Amino acid sequence: MGTDLLEVWELRGGYGDITVIEGFSASLRVGEVVFITGRNGTGKSTLVKLIAGQLTPSGGQLRFNGQDLLLVPQHKRLSLGIGYAPQEAVVFDGLSVEENLTLHYDNRELSRYDALFDAFPRLPERLKQNAGTLSGGEKKILSFCRAMAEDTKLVILDEPTEGVQPENIAHMAHAIDHARSLGRSLIVVEQNLSLVEQTADRAFLLDNGRCIYTADANQNLRSDIAQRLKL
Amino acid sequence: MELLVVNILNFVFATATLALVVLGLAIIFGMLGVMNMAHGEFVMLGAYGALVVQNAGLHFLFAIPFVLLLCIIVGWFIEWSIIRHLYRRPFDTLLATWGLAILLRKGIEAIFGRDYKSIDQTLPGTVQLMGVDYPAYRLVLIGLIALFFLSIFLWYRKSNTGARIKAMVTNPALASAVGIDTRHLARLTFIFGVCTAGLAGVALAPMVRIDPFMGLDYLLSSFFVLVVGGLGSLEGLLTGASVIAGTDVTVSALISKTGGYIAVLTLSILFLWLRPNGLFSSR
Amino acid sequence: MAYFRAASIPFAVVIGLLFVPFIWDTFVAYQLGLYLLYGMVAQGIALCWGRTGFLPLGQALFFGIGAYVSGAALTQFGDNWLLLIPAFLVAVALPALLACGVGLLVFNRQVGSGPFFSLITLALSILGFQLANSWSTVTGGFNGMTGIPGLPGIDSYEHLYYVILAALLFGSLLLLYLQRAPFGQLLSAIAGNEDRLQFFGFHTGLLKAMAFGVSAGLAGLAGAIYAPHQGIVTPQAVGFLLSAEFVIWTAVGGRNSLMGPVMGAVLIGFLASGLRDTFQYWEVVVALVFIVVVLRFPGGLAQLAERIVPSRHRRTAIQARQRTHTIAGTKTQPETNLKFDHVGLKIGPVTILDNLALDITSKGIHCIIGPNGAGKTSTFNVLSGKLPITSGQISWAGQRLSGMRVDQVAQLGISRKLQVPSVFAALSIDQNIDIALWAGRLRRRDYFSMQPFAWQTELLGDLETRFDFLHNGHAPAGVLSLGQRQMLDFSMTYLGEASLILLDEPCAGLSSAETVEMIEAIAQINQLTGACAIIIEHDMQVVERLSDHVLVMHQGTLLASGTMANIRNNAAVQAVYGGGTK
Repeated sequence: MGTDLLEVWELRGGYGDITVIEGFSASLRVGEVVFITGRNGTGKSTLVKLIAGQLTPSGGQLRFNGQDLLLVPQHKRLSLGIGYAPQEAVVFDGLSVEENLTLHYDNRELSRYDALFDAFPRLPERLKQNAGTLSGGEKKILSFCRAMAEDTKLVILDEPTEGVQPENIAHMAHAIDHARSLGRSLIVVEQNLSLVEQTADRAFLLDNGRCIYTADANQNLRSDIAQRLKL
Repeated sequence: MELLVVNILNFVFATATLALVVLGLAIIFGMLGVMNMAHGEFVMLGAYGALVVQNAGLHFLFAIPFVLLLCIIVGWFIEWSIIRHLYRRPFDTLLATWGLAILLRKGIEAIFGRDYKSIDQTLPGTVQLMGVDYPAYRLVLIGLIALFFLSIFLWYRKSNTGARIKAMVTNPALASAVGIDTRHLARLTFIFGVCTAGLAGVALAPMVRIDPFMGLDYLLSSFFVLVVGGLGSLEGLLTGASVIAGTDVTVSALISKTGGYIAVLTLSILFLWLRPNGLFSSR
Repeated sequence: MAYFRAASIPFAVVIGLLFVPFIWDTFVAYQLGLYLLYGMVAQGIALCWGRTGFLPLGQALFFGIGAYVSGAALTQFGDNWLLLIPAFLVAVALPALLACGVGLLVFNRQVGSGPFFSLITLALSILGFQLANSWSTVTGGFNGMTGIPGLPGIDSYEHLYYVILAALLFGSLLLLYLQRAPFGQLLSAIAGNEDRLQFFGFHTGLLKAMAFGVSAGLAGLAGAIYAPHQGIVTPQAVGFLLSAEFVIWTAVGGRNSLMGPVMGAVLIGFLASGLRDTFQYWEVVVALVFIVVVLRFPGGLAQLAERIVPSRHRRTAIQARQRTHTIAGTKTQPETNLKFDHVGLKIGPVTILDNLALDITSKGIHCIIGPNGAGKTSTFNVLSGKLPITSGQISWAGQRLSGMRVDQVAQLGISRKLQVPSVFAALSIDQNIDIALWAGRLRRRDYFSMQPFAWQTELLGDLETRFDFLHNGHAPAGVLSLGQRQMLDFSMTYLGEASLILLDEPCAGLSSAETVEMIEAIAQINQLTGACAIIIEHDMQVVERLSDHVLVMHQGTLLASGTMANIRNNAAVQAVYGGGTK
């Protein structure tokens, strides 16, 4: 704790002419798990897309490890240390599960997934299956495992629990805790408050493209957020 | 007996050359999802490249580096100017490449004229094989194509490139997120497809009549092969090529050239109707 | 009324064209006549391409067939109108039927409008060229069919022009009518989302084949006039070069417009005749223009023109539709009996459904739950005909479903909503509702009648009071929020008043307030229609509020079924599910 891994300053952006995020500032420390929550359509996904490089910000600054991220194209951010699991279109549909998990490595070893496979045994059972035929929840799990296994300092997860069974959400929480213990940082967009409660160090509540509330890790984080979500 | 051997050799030869011609289309359509209507015109470009080399008084083999260079430049330019704007818009790529095909045809026509050209055979003579004399050039070509396919097959199986290309096409945003430089990869794939088409044109040049409209036949027969064989596997490509080449050679020999064409076309329509994904399908 | 307003455009164009022979001379009119004929063919291509979303690349085949039939008839029958008229009908009908047949074959199992169809039509046109060349006893071979007399009593240079204008007007009005009728709206829906349309019970392959048939008939008509106009028909008239030019004219003129393609043919035609001989690279330029149009101006000249002169009928479209014709809501309901008899589904080496057996025999709401990958959506896929089962048998109301197409299953009164809301984004909310109302109700003649646009049902009225945004009928469905699209899709699924409703995670992506609204809507609407609904749902709270009959799936089989309380106490369920509520 202490050093800042990611600094976001007055970040603005959206789709085309439409600005969704109207100035977001925050910093993320090494080994910190931060959640971004809020109602539908408040810009949570847009915010992480801007950070992950899927969208180009129209203003503001983004620094990762002291480096200006806005100069780094998206495909170079993984090697820089930023992993990303998007909300939609989370797997490569035409490829097998195994190919989905290994295509971006030079060696096709699956051993890096050993721990995750123990937690999600359905996945190794389906290695040869076309990932497009997985159910929505299974795709999310595949995407989660892919991003977690990448040895990045920062992992960005966009709604990882959408359509996922409660028991698997618990496994996800364990995996997130483990990553934190290794000094990795996470930004997680999430509406499932149980996951927020289990793993969050901090949570930002977004509304209309702005952060309207920041909750720090304390016993009341869940009720804090829940109360404000109903505003 | 001799007739049988000759026919088998003809069949193998037709299959091999057809497979070589199809390869570029199969890569560009199967992997990038771009139905390249100008595919045949790239084959034509290869043949005209060989013609240029011959007119310059150089040996036939110089056509290979010349056409490769030409295809890299043309392929790069076309990908940069047209194709890259249209990935994931399959319908528009079909149209744009159709326009491109017309452009290339008209361009060649304006430069070289409409009439037939031909290339001198560099490897004349025949080889005695199983009791028959068979043209040496054809035998060499069969061997080279087999070697070429084998090396592509081995490389493809070992590398992750195939999976990465498919990943890039099905989900470019996610591909970028896992560190794939999609623009670069797409461009290389397209150029590779164009180059194989150009090489096919060089290989065929000494045996066919070269004219601005020759490409269309290659486009359609390649397309028939993909319909029968399905997309996404080398086995499918080779099977499709042998079925189409076999049907064409047989019916053409027994009835007429038009009869062969009708048979192949009918076969393709039947396949679209009964087995829309071809004999070998990745789905 | 809107039809007549729109029809004023082709009328105005044709009336303007009437003056051409007087302003310039008959030779200009003669030349123009040829380009107008070509333009008619291009109009047909625009119907297939701009409207329906598939591109025929070999349209000259049909043009040429019309020309050869007409040429042969004129040569043989001379001035006997009694024989000529049936011959002209053949010249139109033969291409139309041929196109329909090919369309049915190719479209049968190909959802979407991939390049396969385009290449097949191109190949057919090349075949036509080869046949025309080699079948010289009939076609005159390479030199063509020559010395074709003009239409009896109509001078080819002086008066045939007016016949062409009449044909152009006829073709334009016909196309305009077809596009305005339900048939045309369904064609637009095909271009938008063919899969979804099949779940409403429409045989999209047939609709596309019919559109292709109409375009081919129009090409045949143009060809039939072409023969007396030119006096000669050569194999070029069926060849791929002319086919390619047809497509270029359509693109440059405007594929989404009625008169645009004619404009394209005339413009490029005159430019070509002026420039072809003096400017060697003229055709290279045309090809370049075509590429630029495809890349940058998909709407062609017509779109450019519209930008300069804003269209009038856009204003009329803003008024919300008045639905005045109330049709019967509930139809006779078949017995509720859904039976899965040891159904297996394998995709490649993977078993998705494993001897799945289930029976649903009562109306009301049934929920399917199960862990990720249990085969829930696959169950819907095999039930609705989207995926073929590998073993076993599925039946609904005693009718076996195996081997049926998606639209055939839907016709039996099975309506399905996909997990991702799939509305026709380019169509208005009103038009989306139309299509849902027509599901299972549109009889053959209704496809070409304007009355179905006025259809109203009790259920629609109820849905409109429930979901306020449905009143905003003129807005394109694409601008709706995810939640609204989910609700529109839900409404559309029920509007056909099917007896079996399949809802795949209807609350996915909804906020908690919207979820509450949706649960209420499902319960009440289903009560109202008296349907049997099967709902896939993850959220136990939703399940508890909706249904008393729960089916639990696991690894492709039915693990348990019964009331919620039963399920909770079931040891097998507890073992695999480990779940409670979120």
